[in-house]
Amino acid sequence: MSSKLKRYEKIEFLGEGQFATVYKARDVKTEAIVAVKKIKLGSRVDAQDGINRTALREIKILQELDHKNLMGLLDVFGHMSNVSLVFDFMDTDLEVIIKDNTIILTTANIKSYIIQTLQGLEYLHMNWILHRDLKPNNLLVNSNGVLKIGDFGLAKLYGSPNRLNTHQVVTRWYRAPELLFGAKQYSVCIDMWAVGCILAELLLRLPFLPGESDLDQLTRIFQVFGNPTEENWPGLKMLSDYIEFKPFAPVPLKHIFTAAGDDLLDVISGLLVLNPLERTNCTETLQKSFFSNKPAPTYGPKLPLPQNIRKLKDLEKPSLKRKLLESAEGGTLSKRLLF
Amino acid sequence: MKDVIDVMELQKEKQRGKQQPLDYRKLEFNGGFTPARFIFECGIKLRAQPLTIATATVLMHRFFKEVDQANYDCYLIASSTLYLAGKIKDDSLKIRDIINVSYSTLHRSNGPLEIGDEFWNMRDAIVQAELLIMRILKFEVTITHPHKYLLHYLRSLEGLLGKEQWSKFPIARGSAAFLQDFHHDPSILDYDPKHIAAACITLTLQCYGVSLPLMEDTDDETWYTVFVKDLQRDKHWEIMEKIMEVYTKDEEF
Repeated sequence: MSSKLKRYEKIEFLGEGQFATVYKARDVKTEAIVAVKKIKLGSRVDAQDGINRTALREIKILQELDHKNLMGLLDVFGHMSNVSLVFDFMDTDLEVIIKDNTIILTTANIKSYIIQTLQGLEYLHMNWILHRDLKPNNLLVNSNGVLKIGDFGLAKLYGSPNRLNTHQVVTRWYRAPELLFGAKQYSVCIDMWAVGCILAELLLRLPFLPGESDLDQLTRIFQVFGNPTEENWPGLKMLSDYIEFKPFAPVPLKHIFTAAGDDLLDVISGLLVLNPLERTNCTETLQKSFFSNKPAPTYGPKLPLPQNIRKLKDLEKPSLKRKLLESAEGGTLSKRLLF
Repeated sequence: MKDVIDVMELQKEKQRGKQQPLDYRKLEFNGGFTPARFIFECGIKLRAQPLTIATATVLMHRFFKEVDQANYDCYLIASSTLYLAGKIKDDSLKIRDIINVSYSTLHRSNGPLEIGDEFWNMRDAIVQAELLIMRILKFEVTITHPHKYLLHYLRSLEGLLGKEQWSKFPIARGSAAFLQDFHHDPSILDYDPKHIAAACITLTLQCYGVSLPLMEDTDDETWYTVFVKDLQRDKHWEIMEKIMEVYTKDEEF
């Protein structure tokens, strides 16, 4: 096992999250640049519980999957009492791209990102797995413009009729209304809502529904889409945490996304539907005319890159920086699963 | 029908010797049978899902395939695989419950384990063994269970036989029992899960003497041919014999 430790030469520290530290490393055997995610066994309590459930989920799920738009798990190794996961190295993520105001996101660029997200997610859903934590920060992009869905720490098999899930999943801003109302049985629709929010964020360059609490999140959702009723969402009032909100009138999406074409609005309005059963799934979404209309999605290597990477690329150095995991500042948003 | 296994006879024999609670500390490793039995007993007491228990036994058998059994305490490994299986299957088994159940299963006459050095040592041992197991198994913890194939084959057979005939014999229950019991034997690792599922069903059909309609039992066509193309007749028999061997081992207990 110690040979594994030598196989990956640490290059630099990339970031630190709740569960892990991420390093950029060189695989001595293949000369590839990889990201090594070392699972923390920090506190005494964690150490007593043995292998971290989040890490185990990630290992278990990623070992079974192989798709160009999903993070590839290249290797796993243990050293002392640590477990490390080796991933493809990714230069940046969609959050950085959205926040970088030197980047212009054209419709073609957005189309490219969303297609890649949907294709990865379609594969995931076809394998009966929900991601449950989609957000720009977890959509990683490399300098060739390939987008990969990462962080499977909350991913879970779905479709079992007698299994209840926790509704405490997905970072709040991307959390679907049924989760906020306490739904314990859900399906791909929760990931689709998140994709809708990400698409909206790509257009607005700001988080679309940045709720400050779970109630505020629902308020923001209803301010845009109007209040749900038993008519447009049957069974709504049966949800355990359902509460009545003061009435809001829906706002036409056209008024919010002023720059978006009708075909793009059609995609958004398919994803962001209050009733989870009426939301379009990946396959249906990809068949919408937006994706076959002009302009064509931007060819990967032509996609914009954040400033720091662009500079480095110009210097023809291997591109650097940026983490894999969610950064420490995301700490205000609940992420940890309750067992 | 020269090669039919006389299951009924075996069943009867089994019932003759009414079972005494096992004293695991006096038992041999027995090719993995003993720790598997221990996992089943603890798993049932912990109300673990059947698939969690199955996962634990498979992990245990895989572990002992890689290492010399004499170097490890098989009950520690068994408890640890149960804990790990709980995590893998999202079937939350609390470590404290596992420790208490394992302890009282091993020491039946003793009272409950007090929180103290022994408890903490067991806890540390289980957690460390868990990581060891993961490493020995090269972090490959995904298991394809025969159960899901079994379910689909049974569903199809139910349709083939019709409600009335189906309700006469406990075919589903029988095959599930064979499958569950087969987890006592490490040879479960050697076969394709689909093949195991088919063998469990054939064995059950044999037990109850159920013959399927419109089925000529010929060499090139059997009931499972529609589901599994690559299962040869002798392989099929081999698996069934392996399943039956479990009951012979059980006798020796």
